[in-house]
Amino acid sequence: MKLIAGVDIGNSTTEVCIGSVGEDGSFHFLSSASRITTGTKGTLPNVHGIKAALMEAMDRIRQPLEALDLVRLNEAAPVIGDTAMETITETIITESSMIGHNPSTPAGAGEAEGYLIHLENIWKGKPGVPYIAVAANKFSYEEVAARLNQHIPELDIRGLILQADEAVLVENRLNRQIPIIDEVRHIERVPEEKLAAIEVALPGTGIRMLSNPYGIATLLGLDAEETKAVTPIAKSLIGKRSAVVIRTPNGNIRENVLPAGEINFHGTQEIRVNIDTGADTIMDSLQKAGEIRDIDGQQDTNVGNMLNRIKKSMTDVAAEADHEARITDILAVDTMAPVEISGSLAGETCMEKAVGIAAMVKTKHLPMQKIAERLEQELHIKAVVAGVEAVMAALGSLTTPGTRLPLAILDMGGGSTDAAVLEADGGVRTTHQAGAGELVTMLIQTELGLGSRTTAEQIKKYPMGKVESLFHMRLENGSMQFFEESIDPRYYGHVVLLAPGEMLKVEEDIPMEKILEVRREAKRKVFVRNAIRALEKVAPDHDLRKIPNVVLVGGSAEDFEIPEMLTEALAEYRIVCGRGNIRGTEGPRNAVATGLLMSYLSSR
Amino acid sequence: MIVNKPTVIIYTRDPDEDLLREICAGIEEEGVLYEVHSGKGDMDTLAYEAAKDSMLGSGIGMEGRRIAMQMARLPKGKNVFELNDPRFWQCRNLGSNSARAVKKMPFKPIYTENGEMSL
Repeated sequence: MKLIAGVDIGNSTTEVCIGSVGEDGSFHFLSSASRITTGTKGTLPNVHGIKAALMEAMDRIRQPLEALDLVRLNEAAPVIGDTAMETITETIITESSMIGHNPSTPAGAGEAEGYLIHLENIWKGKPGVPYIAVAANKFSYEEVAARLNQHIPELDIRGLILQADEAVLVENRLNRQIPIIDEVRHIERVPEEKLAAIEVALPGTGIRMLSNPYGIATLLGLDAEETKAVTPIAKSLIGKRSAVVIRTPNGNIRENVLPAGEINFHGTQEIRVNIDTGADTIMDSLQKAGEIRDIDGQQDTNVGNMLNRIKKSMTDVAAEADHEARITDILAVDTMAPVEISGSLAGETCMEKAVGIAAMVKTKHLPMQKIAERLEQELHIKAVVAGVEAVMAALGSLTTPGTRLPLAILDMGGGSTDAAVLEADGGVRTTHQAGAGELVTMLIQTELGLGSRTTAEQIKKYPMGKVESLFHMRLENGSMQFFEESIDPRYYGHVVLLAPGEMLKVEEDIPMEKILEVRREAKRKVFVRNAIRALEKVAPDHDLRKIPNVVLVGGSAEDFEIPEMLTEALAEYRIVCGRGNIRGTEGPRNAVATGLLMSYLSSR
Repeated sequence: MIVNKPTVIIYTRDPDEDLLREICAGIEEEGVLYEVHSGKGDMDTLAYEAAKDSMLGSGIGMEGRRIAMQMARLPKGKNVFELNDPRFWQCRNLGSNSARAVKKMPFKPIYTENGEMSL
């Protein structure tokens, strides 16, 4: 009897599988294990992780590492993926003239217009002129209220802007009902003597006048030309609970369309496409270009720099394998990114149009042979490179109960989405597509404006809930979970991610519904689109309906909602599609390692 | 004591009036009603009783310059926040938090001006 190990080195994890082969050809799977890949896939540092995984798997069957007779490594697909994001519009304010934000407790409701006057100068105010008072936080709420009350009989004070979080406190002490906005951080930047309009929304609604260009025109008396100029202001104030717009004669707020540039597809056909035409047009052009040799962008434009940057980082990774990195596939998706407006008064952001791009670089063969040699030296066990990754994955996936040939697999990893079709006659077709888990992470990070990529990664991976009391939380599917012990007050009122064994707090104050929507949409944009694109490439006659079953494997197949999304989307084509269950026990993991063992049998 | 207005309740014994005013301002800014009564017992008891008697389930106990915020159904002595000889902004935020507990909003930082709250 011989003990044989299959080893699959992936972008993020290294999977091993161990089986025994009897003299009569009988075969049993014995054990498997998974470890984090050490170093970049296909490089010598991988050996460390392989050894650890092998040891763990052998430990499970109580055998020493030396008992192994043969190690079979995968011929890793020589593709590396990367992602980048570029905004294609920007809003610039050259003279401070807008406050639009969501203080948690503004006071009063309604809109007003008047000339800005600082509280220390209020005695200079003239009767009959409408004013909006501005108070820095050196004045206490009692002082602000007292000073205003003193002047309210003779002055026409219509609104108030505060630096401190004290709007309700001032309102309760004021003799007149006016809209009050608070928490304006850079109050010193508010210019005096300018005409301004102020609005506080009714509870539960957003502002209505100042998010409407004609509303601003009404309050500030603008002509048609000026109204056109304030449209970007109105746009960026949509959905706010309170806002101030200041009329500055030379105030310049404009939406710039950045020179987004063109993408050049060098394929069977040469095609150029402008990036601001959107993701759909870009992807159509990619398809029209046929077999792609390389992709680059117009020099000195955003997209040009972006593709260059991707190539550069790839060249660093694949330096010894390939001198010149070529991009052979991209996936473009439309997205929105909150960008802080330069020149704003309270740190407002504006949702700008952006395009996220995942690119894939094909290198020459990865130096797998070197890894095999090193492994042989260190372990004194024969190690061979056997079998192409995608073929091995298809073979391994066949052990999922309920499958038959022809069988298609979708291997959804971090950097790329790979597909393969295994025909009944043994023929195999494979493809690698750019765009997978990492692009989803990036979309989540930018659309929610998250500070850290780790948070985005966690939002992608775990379901969430909102802590509504110290004893219960509402989960994202609407159900409630109760606790015996009180929850740490730090989590109170926050959205938390339910990682196994712990709760992770989302620091940013974003409603759970919004996170849910962005998360699902990002996954759908990347995985559903890519699955269909990849399967069309490998399907007989490029007809999806000719594939009877699709097995999902790889890291992203373990996700709690992506497989269901694909099952739904592919049901349209009458395809049986679901998360793989390798050998009926392993779930979507271990397909390649299992395939490596199976191919040993057929090669004997 | 029978209470039937929806208020945050503050039970005090020899309170420092300046600190108390800040706590009340914090609650008021959040738009929640409050009432202040003098009570008996130590700080933990005052806070526990206040939370229990509050229809909103949120209460504050104050003894001199020591303050505790408590929520209903939490055991006595296991206060949500405690302050000893605090600064004004800490009192303001503690008041806000007692109101935010009712509004189911995230708490404001109370121990360091921008860092993590620690218990």
